[in-house]
Amino acid sequence: MFRKTYLIMAVLVALSMIFAACTSTDTGSESTEGQPAEAENVTLRVLVHQNPPMVAFMESFNQSFHEKYPNITVDMSIVNANDLSTVTQTRLTANDVDVVDMFGFANAAQPYMKQVDAPNWQQLIDAGLLMDLTGQPFIQNYDSAAIQDAGTYNGKVYEINLGRVSYSGIYYNKDMFTANNVTVPTTWSELVAACETFKAAGIPCMTAGGKDGWPIFVGAYGLLGAIYPDQAALVEGLWSGTIRWNDETSLVMWERMQVYARDMMEDGASGIAGDAAPGRFASGAVAMFPGGTWYAPAIDAAEPAFEWGYIPFPGSDNPEDNQYLFGKYDQGWAIAANTPNGDAVLLYLTEFSDPANYQAFVDAVGFIPTQPTATLNTTIGTEVAPYLANFRVGYEQYWIAPKGAGQFANPWASYFMPFGTDDDPQTLADKVQADLQSGLDAVK
Amino acid sequence: MMYHFGRGRSRWVPYLLLLPGIFFYVLIALGPSMATAVYSFTDATGLKGAPIHWIGLDNYKEFLFMGQASKDNFAALERTLVFCFFVTTIQFGLGLLVAVIINQKLKGRNIFRTLYFMPVILGAVIQGLIWSLFLFPLGGPMARVLEFFGTRSEFLGGQPSEAFAWVIAIQIWANMGTTMIIFLSGLQTIPTELYEAARIDGANSWQVFKNVTWPLLTPSVNTNLTLNIIGSLQAWQLFLVLLGYRNGTQVLGYLIYATGFGQTSGSVTSSFRQGYAAAASIILFLLVLVIGMAVQNILRRREVRIMG
Repeated sequence: MFRKTYLIMAVLVALSMIFAACTSTDTGSESTEGQPAEAENVTLRVLVHQNPPMVAFMESFNQSFHEKYPNITVDMSIVNANDLSTVTQTRLTANDVDVVDMFGFANAAQPYMKQVDAPNWQQLIDAGLLMDLTGQPFIQNYDSAAIQDAGTYNGKVYEINLGRVSYSGIYYNKDMFTANNVTVPTTWSELVAACETFKAAGIPCMTAGGKDGWPIFVGAYGLLGAIYPDQAALVEGLWSGTIRWNDETSLVMWERMQVYARDMMEDGASGIAGDAAPGRFASGAVAMFPGGTWYAPAIDAAEPAFEWGYIPFPGSDNPEDNQYLFGKYDQGWAIAANTPNGDAVLLYLTEFSDPANYQAFVDAVGFIPTQPTATLNTTIGTEVAPYLANFRVGYEQYWIAPKGAGQFANPWASYFMPFGTDDDPQTLADKVQADLQSGLDAVK
Repeated sequence: MMYHFGRGRSRWVPYLLLLPGIFFYVLIALGPSMATAVYSFTDATGLKGAPIHWIGLDNYKEFLFMGQASKDNFAALERTLVFCFFVTTIQFGLGLLVAVIINQKLKGRNIFRTLYFMPVILGAVIQGLIWSLFLFPLGGPMARVLEFFGTRSEFLGGQPSEAFAWVIAIQIWANMGTTMIIFLSGLQTIPTELYEAARIDGANSWQVFKNVTWPLLTPSVNTNLTLNIIGSLQAWQLFLVLLGYRNGTQVLGYLIYATGFGQTSGSVTSSFRQGYAAAASIILFLLVLVIGMAVQNILRRREVRIMG
């Protein structure tokens, strides 16, 4: 009797556990295939990266969108920019997101690059994970050039790009410059002199959000641009060997990067989070802040009455070389190909792309607009307007490292002490070139 | 012969009872491990729908022999072993010391047990946040201490060797509680009569520890050493949270994560390379296997010698 009971119990336990493991727990109200029916309650899952002014705008926009379409609720997830590609990959693969915010759509592999892996956005499209947006009416609201350069792949549109940004400029504290009789620098020597004046007055020259890693070296991308104004040619030259990181011209760049890291950046900058750096600059703790135009709204939000300006990084002693702003097409919206909420998602992008909403967006985040009807109403817009004719796509948008290249094969100021181990420009230049050459030799 | 579950069909009962466990083990542990081994011979990206091609040993060749990147991989491998050595020895020693101390009849010992164990229950993100604040170079507590001595440091964002040393310290802080608890449970199984007999024989504290406590702690020693070695060889979360992708600090576990999820250059546009990351995982697995089996072998022999 007991044996039979044991047997029955064992079978029931085994079957129930297997059944529990295999049964879907999806009890949501959303349809899992096809389009949601009209007026059916829909939850749109939107993924964005952490950028406080953009997040604040999106929360407000989502609220307005929900009020206009009460059956659609937006569930927005926010991740650190460094984690965006990872989360995008996992959530798209799990079919757990409808709208994703994507970076770097522009940097495709160039024909002269051998054996390189496609960038992640291209891999996502090739895997069939992003929706083809070609022909959607809202695309007409954007510059055709922006859609072509930063949204089109193999003749189809997969992303609407929301704006361009510059990352090669320096914010400066106008009151502090006036109080210390410092003129706005237009050459490298003037920048060095300005920093020495501020340091003598007990004011750290510059800060950056070094805790996130990249803000330290991206701050010096203007220096790279002043030395190599044609950055597409720079990348091709590095691949072909006509430009070397340890040649005479590059050595000037490394020497200046050392001054930037060692003498210009404030002590402790490596501990400041990317989000906190604009606030630190706005608080008057430092005189300058090398960084992207996307920081402007955060500076204004931290200290609305704060007077600041924005200039191209004067990395050259020839003022003519310092007239360029380098940057990129910033974030864009893409849609999961397998979204069960296709109608609602397209409605969401249509609403976002409405010129009035888009204008509010660029006003909030400080992007250089990609809709032709939008205007530069912001302080940062006014500051960058004189340089827009000289806006150039930056190095990082072109660069893909050859397989086998070492980890130092990048023009990063953060290799220098106190952030890295190097304190000799020539030695570092040789190491960087050797790391790059190793990869170039490996893919020959 | 005895059949606990009876004869005939009833003899299948134990196997049926094992079935759910085996099912979940295969589903969650063995299956993905086998899949990783297979993926290591492909160019898989980890994206659903992406084509996967069989590329033989290319991932292994690239990891082990291709350019300076392969030398960087070996440097990460070496760093992994250094990390393992320091974490294991210090965590083991500290855990034992603390366990012996708080096993005494001291006032408030339960509070100390809780305090020492508390970091274990915090996730890696919380642990990282706590230490990032503690090591904040612009006026954080540790910066104040250094300032008092007339010096300063960038801590986690400064020299890679210093940042690496901090991760070792934080890893030990985060996991020492587990080591301590295992030793504590071992200490509490040692009969007090043995201590009393040793004392009557005139043994001093060191002799009691050497001849009574240490031999009888053998099962706990083995468990802790095995867990510490394997845990530290596989560590990656604290490297991600505290340092991110920084030259001169990566260990193999973090390198695998960064490669698999496109974070190798700190760029948001890196490629997804899960086939390559799978090959690196297999290499790490082999390292853990060789070291783990060698240690197990030594510890088992020692246990037989001491415990009989």
